[in-house]
Amino acid sequence: MAEVVLKDVVKSYGSIYAVNHVSLKVEDGEFVALVGPSGCGKTTTLNLVAGLIPLTRGEIWIGDREVSGLDPKDRDIAMVFQNYALYPNKSVYKNLAFPLQMRRLGRAEIDSKVQAAAKVLDITHLLERKPRELSGGQQQRVALGRALVRDPRAFLMDEPLSNLDAKLRVQMRSEIKRFHQDMKATVIYVTHDQLEAVTMADKMAVMNGGFLQQYDSPANVFANPVNMFVASFIGSPAMSLIPLEAGSDGGTTVLRSPEGWSFALDGRNAAKVAKAKGKRVVLGARHSTVRLLPNAEPGTVPGKVYTVEPTGDVTFAQVFVSGALVNVSLPPTYAIRPDETVNVLFDQARMHLFDGETEMALTA
Amino acid sequence: MEQSPTTRRIDGWRWSGRLFLTFLLGFTVMPMAWMFITSLKTGFAAMQYPPQWWPAEPTLENYWRLIDPSSSVGQDFLHYFWNSMWVSTLTTVLAVAVAVPAAYAFSRFRFPGRNFLFFAVLLRNMFPAVVFLVPLFILMKVLGLVNTHGSLVLTYLTFGLPLAIWLLKGFYDNIPIQLEQAARIDGATRFQAFFLIVMPLSTPGIIATSIYSFIGAWNEYIYAYTFLTKHDQMTLPVGIQRFFSENATDWPGLMAATFLMSVPVVVLFLVLQRYFVRALTEGAVKH
Ligand SMILES: Nc1ncnc2c1ncn2[C@@H]1O[C@H](COP(=O)(O)OP(=O)(O)OP(=O)(O)O)[C@@H](O)[C@H]1O
Ligand SMILES: [Mg+2]
Repeated sequence: MAEVVLKDVVKSYGSIYAVNHVSLKVEDGEFVALVGPSGCGKTTTLNLVAGLIPLTRGEIWIGDREVSGLDPKDRDIAMVFQNYALYPNKSVYKNLAFPLQMRRLGRAEIDSKVQAAAKVLDITHLLERKPRELSGGQQQRVALGRALVRDPRAFLMDEPLSNLDAKLRVQMRSEIKRFHQDMKATVIYVTHDQLEAVTMADKMAVMNGGFLQQYDSPANVFANPVNMFVASFIGSPAMSLIPLEAGSDGGTTVLRSPEGWSFALDGRNAAKVAKAKGKRVVLGARHSTVRLLPNAEPGTVPGKVYTVEPTGDVTFAQVFVSGALVNVSLPPTYAIRPDETVNVLFDQARMHLFDGETEMALTA
Repeated sequence: MEQSPTTRRIDGWRWSGRLFLTFLLGFTVMPMAWMFITSLKTGFAAMQYPPQWWPAEPTLENYWRLIDPSSSVGQDFLHYFWNSMWVSTLTTVLAVAVAVPAAYAFSRFRFPGRNFLFFAVLLRNMFPAVVFLVPLFILMKVLGLVNTHGSLVLTYLTFGLPLAIWLLKGFYDNIPIQLEQAARIDGATRFQAFFLIVMPLSTPGIIATSIYSFIGAWNEYIYAYTFLTKHDQMTLPVGIQRFFSENATDWPGLMAATFLMSVPVVVLFLVLQRYFVRALTEGAVKH
């Protein structure tokens, strides 16, 4: 296995920049999840690493070798596709053998490697079948088998689980994770599903509009999103964002709403707000850091309940605060009804503040 | 056996459907059957009125005559047959050789002028073939190709290629590009990915295209009639005219020749039919 490095990588289609100045280092043996909304350039990035499409600018290194101009076959990587891309007219055995045949291995060596890979993935009994005679989960295993049969320098996976049903997805998730640990494999894994990213990845690369937004451990991305996009994209339900205005009230810094209410910030948050370019500040709050109080108290702001969704364990409520929808999680016993007026309290220690002009996180 | 009203209604539909299909079948088979029956008659029996539905004395004499190289009719017929076979096969091989890479390029690559070129390719099909008769004749004359089989092969390619390319492009469009990408990552060159993975998957398309080109060339009459004036060059559709002599038409001979002419096409279909069926039932190339 080897590290994979992207240096200032650009891919443009005419005036469209599918990938925009992305720099990224995946350490040897690291599992990196590439996440972002549809069309943000995840597949393009993966295809650039694989060499399936030419770079517009930048460099790609795999191990100690620059591979920017190399054919896919010379990069020694393996890829698992969303639709598996199994060769439909070849048996499972021949699908697994194909990468080895292309590397001109001997018949006996091919056979032992195919059998070994089949055993690892528990598909030995399927070797004579054609792909169309397999279930989605089995096809997925074969696709994985074809990738690991030849011990490549890195694995690229483009939403490999998205065609599976929910239960199988959870199962395959842990199997891929397991396989990564056993093989000490370098993996770049594209997914739509944050839960997949959070549970499997050592690091998460969040992309938007071709730009790399943040590259860090899932815990850090969750705890310290660098901007409003990452904040609202990571976490479920999404972080609530409330546009407000910074002001001062008798010397203390407050956040004020267009409706006229305001609440005071503690010292650390006041210091953050002081760094904002203008007066516009966006308050970010995750559902678990917001509380509803029966009476108005200092620090609370008025809200109106919009929806209530009991899930059994926890009840999710959406509350309108100054025109923005705020997600709140409540104990299931909490009595609350739509259209009710409530008092909302934000946890000062765990709130996020963003510059309304630049949309970047404010730091003290 | 008891039947629910639903199954009875479905049966009703099924039977009226079958009746209709039977009618259609009769409609298409009748002329063929009559052609075959007539070819078994003597010249005299063929002219009788009321017609004999089945000849009183069926004979294969007309067929023997056609395939007997020592008779003058047989000699000509076999010569025409060979000419047709040669022209049609050459047309088919060239059409596939050009259409496969062209269709693949149109399907996979984005290049400047791609849409315009594809439109230009299809443009030919918007005019009836006969419109090109005079211009092509003049062109062939300038090129010195009149009275050669080359003139026919070129013409048939002109007519056959657009549809062949269009047909094959549809097949390539349906083969996920990820299959080639996977092959290239697995260690194949672009060419290997095409020949080892894509080509086998497009076999039904290539066969359909071949049959289409072959039949088009095999049956073509007007151009063969115009471009070829020498007897030893003629293809079957033109050569068969021989059986209309000045004073009397040899109907049984003509029918036997026509019947033999349809044999290669039917055989081609029967032999390659399973590829069509496989293409339809297997859905191997669809996601
Ligand atoms: N061949 C192409 N020509 C022009 N634009 C392209 C091409 N391929 C991709 N794009 C554009 O590049 C952008 C990124 O595409 P990409 O497929 O990488 O997105 P993605 O993040 O994988 O999305 P998804 O999650 O939907 O798979 C999109 O806006 C897309 O329209
Ligand atoms: Mg994608």
